[in-house]
Amino acid sequence: MGDEQMKGYRQQPGKLPFKKPGSGGGKPFSELRDLDFIPESLDGRLAQPHGENRHDYLLTGSSIGRRTPMIDDRWKVTGQAKYGDDIRLSGELIGRILRSPHHYAKIRAIDTSVAEALPGVEYVLCGQGHKTLFGVLPVTKDEHALAVEKVRHVGDLVAAVAAVDEATALEALRLIKVDYEVLEPVHDMRKAIDDSEHPIHDRGKYHIGESNVQKRVFQEFGNISAMKDSLATSAAKWKFAGVNHGFTEPHAVVAHWDPSGRLTLYTPQQVPHYLHRALADVLDVPMHQINVYRTFVGGGFGGKSDPFPHEMCAAIMARETGKPVRITFDREEVFWTNRGRHPSLLEMVLHADQQGRISGIETDALIDGGAFASFGHVTTYYNGVLHTAPYEIGAFHYTGARVWTNKPASGAMRGHGAVNSRCAVESGIDDLCDRLQVDPITFRLANLLPPHSTTITGFRVTSIGMRECLERVRDASGWVEKFRKMPLGRGIGIGCGFFISGSGLPIHWDPNKFPHATVHLKVDMDGGVVVHTGAAEIGQGSDTVVAQSVAEVLGLPIEMIRIKSRETDTSPVDLGSYSSRVTFMNANAAISAAMVIRADLLAAAAEITAADEKMLVIGDRRIYVKRDPAVGVSYLEALHKALEDRGALVSSGSYRTPPMGKSHKGAAAGLAPAYSFSAYVAEVEVDMETGQSKVIEVWAAHDCGRALNPLAVEGQIIGSCHMGLGQVLSEEMVYGRTGHLRNANLLEYKIPTVHEMPKVTPIIVESNDPEGPFGAKEAGEGPLLPILPAVVNAIYDASGIRVNELPVTPDRLFRSIEKKIKAEEVDNALQLPNPNLQYSDLQNVVEARALDHGKRDDERQLDVEREPYHNGALFGLDPAIAPEEQTTDWVISLTPDEDYLADPRLAGSAWKHTERRHMGGEN
Amino acid sequence: MAADEHVSMIPAASKVGWSAEVNGRGFGDEIESGAILLDVLRDQVGTLGVKRGCDMGTCGCCTVIIDGVARLSCLTLAGEAEGCEITTVEGLATGHHLAPIQEMFSECGGSQCGFCTPGFLLTSAALLAKNDSPSDSEVKSAIDGNLCRCTGYQQIVESIQAAAEILRSDAKSKDGTAAQMDPHPGLGAGDAGE
Repeated sequence: MGDEQMKGYRQQPGKLPFKKPGSGGGKPFSELRDLDFIPESLDGRLAQPHGENRHDYLLTGSSIGRRTPMIDDRWKVTGQAKYGDDIRLSGELIGRILRSPHHYAKIRAIDTSVAEALPGVEYVLCGQGHKTLFGVLPVTKDEHALAVEKVRHVGDLVAAVAAVDEATALEALRLIKVDYEVLEPVHDMRKAIDDSEHPIHDRGKYHIGESNVQKRVFQEFGNISAMKDSLATSAAKWKFAGVNHGFTEPHAVVAHWDPSGRLTLYTPQQVPHYLHRALADVLDVPMHQINVYRTFVGGGFGGKSDPFPHEMCAAIMARETGKPVRITFDREEVFWTNRGRHPSLLEMVLHADQQGRISGIETDALIDGGAFASFGHVTTYYNGVLHTAPYEIGAFHYTGARVWTNKPASGAMRGHGAVNSRCAVESGIDDLCDRLQVDPITFRLANLLPPHSTTITGFRVTSIGMRECLERVRDASGWVEKFRKMPLGRGIGIGCGFFISGSGLPIHWDPNKFPHATVHLKVDMDGGVVVHTGAAEIGQGSDTVVAQSVAEVLGLPIEMIRIKSRETDTSPVDLGSYSSRVTFMNANAAISAAMVIRADLLAAAAEITAADEKMLVIGDRRIYVKRDPAVGVSYLEALHKALEDRGALVSSGSYRTPPMGKSHKGAAAGLAPAYSFSAYVAEVEVDMETGQSKVIEVWAAHDCGRALNPLAVEGQIIGSCHMGLGQVLSEEMVYGRTGHLRNANLLEYKIPTVHEMPKVTPIIVESNDPEGPFGAKEAGEGPLLPILPAVVNAIYDASGIRVNELPVTPDRLFRSIEKKIKAEEVDNALQLPNPNLQYSDLQNVVEARALDHGKRDDERQLDVEREPYHNGALFGLDPAIAPEEQTTDWVISLTPDEDYLADPRLAGSAWKHTERRHMGGEN
Repeated sequence: MAADEHVSMIPAASKVGWSAEVNGRGFGDEIESGAILLDVLRDQVGTLGVKRGCDMGTCGCCTVIIDGVARLSCLTLAGEAEGCEITTVEGLATGHHLAPIQEMFSECGGSQCGFCTPGFLLTSAALLAKNDSPSDSEVKSAIDGNLCRCTGYQQIVESIQAAAEILRSDAKSKDGTAAQMDPHPGLGAGDAGE
């Protein structure tokens, strides 16, 4: 926009912030383009330390990289935004749900007659008539609209009522008589591995023994035997409490069958498409008879990404009554629905060899899935495979198991599956460095995978900004002056992480090779661009980033882009907002769609000006000859020319991941077209006498490839810190001895308030991913990972206590301090030894290698002719030969052998069962 | 009482007349005598910008301003607010002009998913009405009853301080209305309300 663009709040009403669309931009005449946003490779001044990007030539300087407020913010700040419960249709009924009071019970009979007779009750729904199973993953469908034969946790859905008002609906619930036969519940995830008389689910021939094991994974990669011969070993057994997303908006749904017999379901959903599929199954109507309307979503974080039973109930009751039905949860129901992070028991063993390399990681993760599968299949893999980078490792041994227990189901939550094991791994590295007496940042810098390499499990990693992240947080935090140098009670710690930028394999993949994301554009004579996308805006700014991408390519102000992303009727299929896929996949699809329109406009401009099309560039609402700006036409002129004889310009763009990864079972879990990287330093204060820890400041560096909207990226980084700090210091779903959830409310479930939030300094690192939209990668989930280990490591630096149970509440830390006082035989906590660091000889070795690898990585980043690099080169493998083709001791194994089964770790013991189909079962 | 005796929990009809000035406009209707203000505002007045997050005063999403004081409408009986001046998020803007606090929440990233935003806006509007130059810790004390799960509060505090700055500069200028901005500049970008 030009100089005379009006800024700030003093804007006059009714005035546009730019000249009329298509008038030729903010200036009457075109000028040579501002070189500051033209990349160096295209003769501009925009620095490209990490090389070129395939979208460079599309930059027009209109939107990308600008701090852009969300385009729907005004709806939110004026209260006009309609969330789930704000959809009020005339003649609506209020739906409420009867929930199980038992952890585990058979339903013998349900008597609804009294409830049905209550005046004002229009419908009472039970599960018997609706036995179709659904679930977010096609391989593990295990949920019903309402319980059919058994209830599986306290709060499981038993019956639903639709009535004229809430009081009547609630009263009707009290009048439903349910005859239960109480069964012996399983609460302890360790016991769930064993055979049970009544397994919580029956998976037929795929059932694992008679146990409650829902999924088990065994993976061995690399030189397993060599890792036993290590200079230092760090072993820890971790216990992570389950945490809830804590989004502020409780679930709500409105279902309405219109007179033409079609269902519109209004719901705050992250993944409308999977819900769309599940609704079609359960209601037994074709998908084209259903319109899923995504309302504003009051926070998702993974918690609104399953198709939910209450959504089915609302749809069924609306069909039966012929009236709209609205169901809204109270906060307690949100906790019963859960799908939060899995409580888990983790064993983490790390090995370092003589040269200070990470020669092996052994992980055993038992995760508590609660009553349903949800995303659990994937979570079980993610607990292992998502800590095989950013470091080069000699061997990786992972055993994981997810079990059903009689608790509210766990599911996907920001940082899906990676958070807990990342915390354990990073804390383990800190411990290794302590044992080796080397600096943990230098140690990490000496063990990073280079850009454009392959991890030990076969993930193709493209851009890596990890090194820059580490260096920048080290400098910003004053690491060198502070680490191991602060007094007892004050400490600093580092944590790293990496995360997928979209899942390489969509959950519903079809043989037809559907794209992951599709975006449609329509431009009519008014010049505004309508974007149809199914990407779910959940507050993260997905509408904004798609609008920015289109605006950038077409050289338009973002106000001219209109996003239509709410309804499955009008939007192309999109897989939704999960696995941090939206920016990468949708923006890529939007750019492809915009490129088609751009080509139309350039052709039209070439026809008018008789200039060579190749010489034309797009500036602010003008298309002109690059070196002679006087020759050009306005956007609107070019558009109107292009519209001749065809009317509105329409285009469609899509994105599909390139073929990649290996072929072993589970190879696709964790596969992504790009990965984000991050490194955080946290400074904490620990009151040694009470065990209270407080985080003072956080320096958070995140490599998001390229920050399309720095304002949103910073918001994601700070917000991730908040959520991670909750998990590490205060948040916990507390289950009592008899398995009941004790804190299903926001008073006792401790989400950090503004007082607990430290100052966070977000540091954006841009590694320019070759396949990302304008170089971008994800920024929504990865930023959460490093905060947990950074805090845990800082607590060690402050107190000498190596924490292995989260959250680190004062009582837990105090118990550890007390123990240490006894062990050290000192009088009180203030006399405890402060951890110190006396560099060993190894420090020089890792420093030299860090320096060396820094140069290696820089060269590799810019070298387009680069050789392949597989994890293992640091351990003597030929980097050009893939691990599976190595003839050395390099192994890839996916089933345990007898030796392992003789003495398995905790989750590994799930492999003692035989799958029923292998026993020749009848199924 | 016999175990199988059922006592209805549907409240006996006891409607009372209720009136208040909501966002500068008189409202009168019959309400249940024990009605909660949050329910009346959402279901009867129709100010759906008042959000229900927890029903027990823990999240702050339902905050409204009653006679100048920020209060949780889920913990307030409608009867307590009888005849009072109630401001909800819908009442912050003047016509097309957004209040500085609304403008700054948008500009500084104070709002992500937006569900907690009305509560924060009203809490901070009440603060700024009393104190147009609050310190960071005063701001934090004011909003510590409001939960936000998206932003980590940092950009919210920045938004409030930015709004305070506008109010201060405006207090010096003569034209009080200039502090507000057109909520619909140019072409609306979102399809949000359709």
